[in-house]
Amino acid sequence: MTAEEAAVEAVSDPVAGSRPAREGAPVLEIEDLHVSFPTEDGRVRAVRGVSYRVHRGEALGIVGESGSGKSVASLAVMGLLPRGAEVRGAARVLGEQVLHLPDEELSRVRGERIAMIFQDPLTSLNPVYTVGRQIAEAVRAHRAVSERKALERAVELLGAVGIPRPEERVRSYPHELSGGMRQRVVIAIAMANDPDVMIADEPTTALDVTVQAQVLEALEAARRHTGAALVLITHDLGVVAGHVDRVAVMYAGRVVEEGPVDAVFSRPRMPYTLGLLGSRPRLDEERVRRLAPISGAPPTLLAPPPGCPFAPRCPMAEDRCTAEEPPLRSVGAGRTAACHFSERLEEDGADTLFGRPDRAPPSTAPPAPDGAAPLLSAKGLVKHFPVRSKGVVRRRIGDVHAVCGVSLDLREHETLALVGESGCGKSTTARLLLRLLTPDAGTVEFEGADIAGLPRARLRRLRQDMQIVFQDPFASLDPRMTVAEIIAEPLRIHGLYRERGGAADVQRLLRTVGLGPEHGARYPHEFSGGQRQRIGIARALALRPRTLILDEPVSALDVSIQAGVVNLLEDLQEEFGLAYLFVSHDLSVVRHIADRVAVMYLGKVVESGPADRLFTSPTHPYTQTLVSAIPLPDPRKERRRQRILVTGDVPSPSSPPSGCRFRTRCPKFADTLSPAEQSRCIEEEPPLDPWAAGHLTACHYAEERALWSEGP
Amino acid sequence: MLVFVIRRLLVTVPVLLAASMFSFALIDVTGDPLADLLVQQPPPSQEVIQAERERLYLDRPAYERYWLWLTGIGGNGDIGLLQGEFGPSVQGPAFDVGAEVAARMGVTLRLVAAAVLLALGLAVATGVVSAMRQYSVVDHTLTFIGFLALAMPTFWLGALIKEAGVWANGQLGTTVFSTIGASAADTRGMDLWERIADAGGHLVLPTVALMLTGYAAWSRYQRTAMLEVLNSDYVRLAHAKGLRRRTVMRRHALRTALIPLTSVAAVTIAEILAGTVLIETVFQWRGMGTLLVEAVRTSDAYVLMGWLMLAGTLVVLANLAADLLYGVLDPRIRYE
Repeated sequence: MTAEEAAVEAVSDPVAGSRPAREGAPVLEIEDLHVSFPTEDGRVRAVRGVSYRVHRGEALGIVGESGSGKSVASLAVMGLLPRGAEVRGAARVLGEQVLHLPDEELSRVRGERIAMIFQDPLTSLNPVYTVGRQIAEAVRAHRAVSERKALERAVELLGAVGIPRPEERVRSYPHELSGGMRQRVVIAIAMANDPDVMIADEPTTALDVTVQAQVLEALEAARRHTGAALVLITHDLGVVAGHVDRVAVMYAGRVVEEGPVDAVFSRPRMPYTLGLLGSRPRLDEERVRRLAPISGAPPTLLAPPPGCPFAPRCPMAEDRCTAEEPPLRSVGAGRTAACHFSERLEEDGADTLFGRPDRAPPSTAPPAPDGAAPLLSAKGLVKHFPVRSKGVVRRRIGDVHAVCGVSLDLREHETLALVGESGCGKSTTARLLLRLLTPDAGTVEFEGADIAGLPRARLRRLRQDMQIVFQDPFASLDPRMTVAEIIAEPLRIHGLYRERGGAADVQRLLRTVGLGPEHGARYPHEFSGGQRQRIGIARALALRPRTLILDEPVSALDVSIQAGVVNLLEDLQEEFGLAYLFVSHDLSVVRHIADRVAVMYLGKVVESGPADRLFTSPTHPYTQTLVSAIPLPDPRKERRRQRILVTGDVPSPSSPPSGCRFRTRCPKFADTLSPAEQSRCIEEEPPLDPWAAGHLTACHYAEERALWSEGP
Repeated sequence: MLVFVIRRLLVTVPVLLAASMFSFALIDVTGDPLADLLVQQPPPSQEVIQAERERLYLDRPAYERYWLWLTGIGGNGDIGLLQGEFGPSVQGPAFDVGAEVAARMGVTLRLVAAAVLLALGLAVATGVVSAMRQYSVVDHTLTFIGFLALAMPTFWLGALIKEAGVWANGQLGTTVFSTIGASAADTRGMDLWERIADAGGHLVLPTVALMLTGYAAWSRYQRTAMLEVLNSDYVRLAHAKGLRRRTVMRRHALRTALIPLTSVAAVTIAEILAGTVLIETVFQWRGMGTLLVEAVRTSDAYVLMGWLMLAGTLVVLANLAADLLYGVLDPRIRYE
C-alpha cells in the first residue's frame, strides 16, 4: 500500500476521530497571503495575512460569513482574481510558488495539481458545449490523448461522481441537466487529472438539501478516486462538520481559529467561533432555548481599525482588544486562535458568554387544541400555471402543477412552517393564502369567512390582518424611499396614518424591531441585510396584522445575523400574539421556531404534525430523507448519523408521477417494498390520513423511524 | 429544423403582404405619376395623356390597381410582382424596370456585402480587444471612435471621406482613391482581372463610409457581450481547468459572445440598406440607392413600390438567417 493509498484509506474511514497532523511536506501551503482590491472608496483589504497548510489526503474546512475573505483567498491561489487585485505573500503547491506565475506556467498547475469547484453549477458550465466535451477538454489540457480517449475518460468520470447512464449524459448540454447533475459534472472536471488539491468554494450552497447530500457524496467519491486533499469553503457549519479533518474559521480577512474539527466545534477558543456555533439553531435540539445572536455586523475592510476586528461585537472585549490585534497563536495540540484571552474560553459556552436567555417560560400557550377554530384555513387549494409554446400563437401545451389540493390550518398565536425543496409549491401556497394569486380551486377562509372569491375592495380591508415578509431584504424595499416612508406606506394606503399617530407610530415600529428612531430618515442602502429585514418586518407590522406570512425571512442572511432576526420574530409573536406561516427550506430554523410543520413535495402536503414529532419520528419517507439530509454542526454526531439518501432529482411539476409522487425517489419504495406493494404506490395516490393526534401522513406504508440515535 | 424553417417562411407571407399594402397605400396617395407630363410645354394632347394613363393603369380604381400590381392578372404582361414584373415606368414603355433593378442590385449588393463583412470583422475584433483591455488607453480610443461614428450622420461622414480621398489624390498627384462611380467610366479593353481590380478600387471609400454606422453599433454590442462572458463562471472554470489564456478566450469567451451579435446584426441590415441611398448619392454610383432617389423625383410609383418590397424582403430574409444561425450557435435554442 502506497502512502497515497493509505491516506485515502484514512480519509474514507468515517469513524476515525480527529487525526494527528500529517507528516511530510504539505501539498498546499499558503503563507501570509494579502489581497486588496481598489474600489471607489479606497482599497478594500479583503485578505489580511492568511496562512494555512493542507497535507496529502487531508480535508480542510474554511468557514466564514460573506465578506470574510474565504473565497478571495482561494481564488488568489488559482490566479483567478479580477485584474486590479493586489496579491502579496506566498502560495505553494507541492513546494512551488504559484502566485504571479506567467499564464503558461500557471496553466500547467491549474487543473493538473490544483482544481477548483465553484458555487453556482448553473453558470459554471459553458452553455454551448456538451458536458462530455467540457470534461474532455480538461483531460486534453494536460494529457496528449485523442478526443475519443478523452471522451471515454469523461464517461468514466461521470460514472464516478454518480451520474446515471453516463454514456448518454456525456452528449448532453448543460441546460439539459439539473443543478445537482451539473455540479457533479464540475466535480468530474476537477477530478479529471487526479489533482493533488481540490478547492470547493461553497459547492452546495445553491442546491437543495437532498441534492446537497448527493453532491457531498460525489465530492467524497472524488477524494477517494484521486487521493486529493480537499479545501472545503462554506458558510454552513454543518457541511464542514461531517466532511473535513481540520477547520479554519475566517473573520474580516483573517483566520481567527484553526484546529481539528472535533476540538474546534466542541471547545472553541475564539469568541467568534463560539458565537457562530451558538447562533445557529440545531436540528437535534429541542425548542427550549433562545438563540444567542452576535450583536452588530462584521467590520468594513476599507480601513480596518486597529485591534481585534471582532472586538466591537465581542462580549469579552477589553481595552487591550481595541488597541492591539491578537496574532494567531498556538493554544494547544495542533490548534491556533487569534484571541488575547482564549484561555478564558476553556470553561465558557456560548450561553454564558453571549447571554442566551432561556426562552420565556415555554411560551407555547400550547398550540390551541384541535377543536379551536383556525384563524386562517385553506382547503383543497389548487394552482396550475400554464406552459405555453413558443411562437406567435403560444398554445397552451401543458400545466405546471404548482399546488395540488393543499389544505392547511393556521391557529392564533401559532407558527406553522411550510417546508420543502425548491419547486415544491410552498411559496405559491403562501401567495394563494394571501390571495396575491387566485386559486384555481379550493377555499381560503380567514376567521370563517371565505376570501377566495372576495371582491377587491373587501379584500383590501382584509389585507390589514394578513401581511407578508419577503426573502430578499435588498429587493423588497424601494431604494428611493426613506425607511420612515417605507414603514408608513401601508398605513397611508389604508388611510390610517394620522389616526394611528403618524410619525410617532413609525418610530414606535422602528423601536419594536430593534432599530432607532434616527434610522427613519435614512435610505435602505445604508443598512445591512439583517437591518433591512427588520425594516421589512416593521413594515409588515405597521397595520397591526394578526397573521404574518414569512417567506424565507432569514435565508438571505448570514448565520450570525439570522439569530437576531429569529429572536425578534419570537418576541413579536409573544408580544402581539401573531400567527406565523413560516415558509422555509431551512429545517434547522424551522425546528427552532415552528409549533407545527407541513412538509410539501411536488405541490402536495405529504406529512404534517407537531414540530417535535416530525423531527424526531417522521413517518413519511420524504420527511425522513429531508431531515437526515440536513448536516449537523457537530462532527461526532454527524459522522455517526444514519443517512437516508435519495437518488435523482425532483421530477418536473408539469408531469408528476402517477400514484404517490415521491415514489420515483423513495428509498423505501426502491429498497424494502415487494413488487405487489410497489404497484399500490404506482396506482393509488396515498391520502393525507391521520397517524397520531394532530399528525397526518400521506404514505401507504408509513412507519415511524427514529433518526437520532443517542449515544456517547 | 425543417418544420421550423417552413413555418418561419410561412409567417413571412403575411408580413410581406402587410408591407405591400402599406407601400401601396403610401405611394398611391403621394404624388401623381403624370405630374411631369401635365406640365410639359407645349401641353401634350389629351390622347397622349389618356394613353399614358392607361399604360400606367391609372384609369383603374385603386383596389384593382393593387391587385394588378401584386398578381398581374388582367394587365398587359408588364406588371405583377408574383410574375416577377415590377410594372410600367413613367420613363416610357422602353424602360424595363426589372432589368434596371437587376443591374443596379448587383452594384449595391457588392457595396452592402463588403460593408457588412468589413463592419462585422472589425466590430468583433475591436469589441474583443476593448473588453479584454477594459478601461485601457486602447479601450478608450476605440470607444471614442465608435461613438464618433455613431454620432456623425452617414452623408456627412461619406462626404468627408470622399473629400479626404480627393485631397489625398491631389497630394500624391495620382488617382489612388476612386471617388466617383462604381467602376471606371470606360471599362472597354480591360480583361477580367483589371475589371475586378477596378471595381475593388472604386469600392474602398464608399465601403468605409457605409460600414462605419454598423461597425460602431456592433463593436459596442460585442464589447458588452464579451465583458459579460469574461466575467462568467464558466470562463473562470475554463481557466481553472488549466487551459491557456488564448484557448479560453477563443473557445469559451469569443465563441459564446458572438451569439448575441447575430440578431443585432440582422436588425442593422435595414439601416445599412438605408445608408446606401446616401452613400451612392455622395459617390455618384448608379445603384439601388440612386434608383430610389430618381424614382422619388419622377413619382415613378411602380419603381418605388418595387424598391420598398425588395428591401423589405431582404430584411425579412436577413432576420430568418439570423434566427437559423442562432439555433446553430446556441444549443439552448431548439426549433421543433
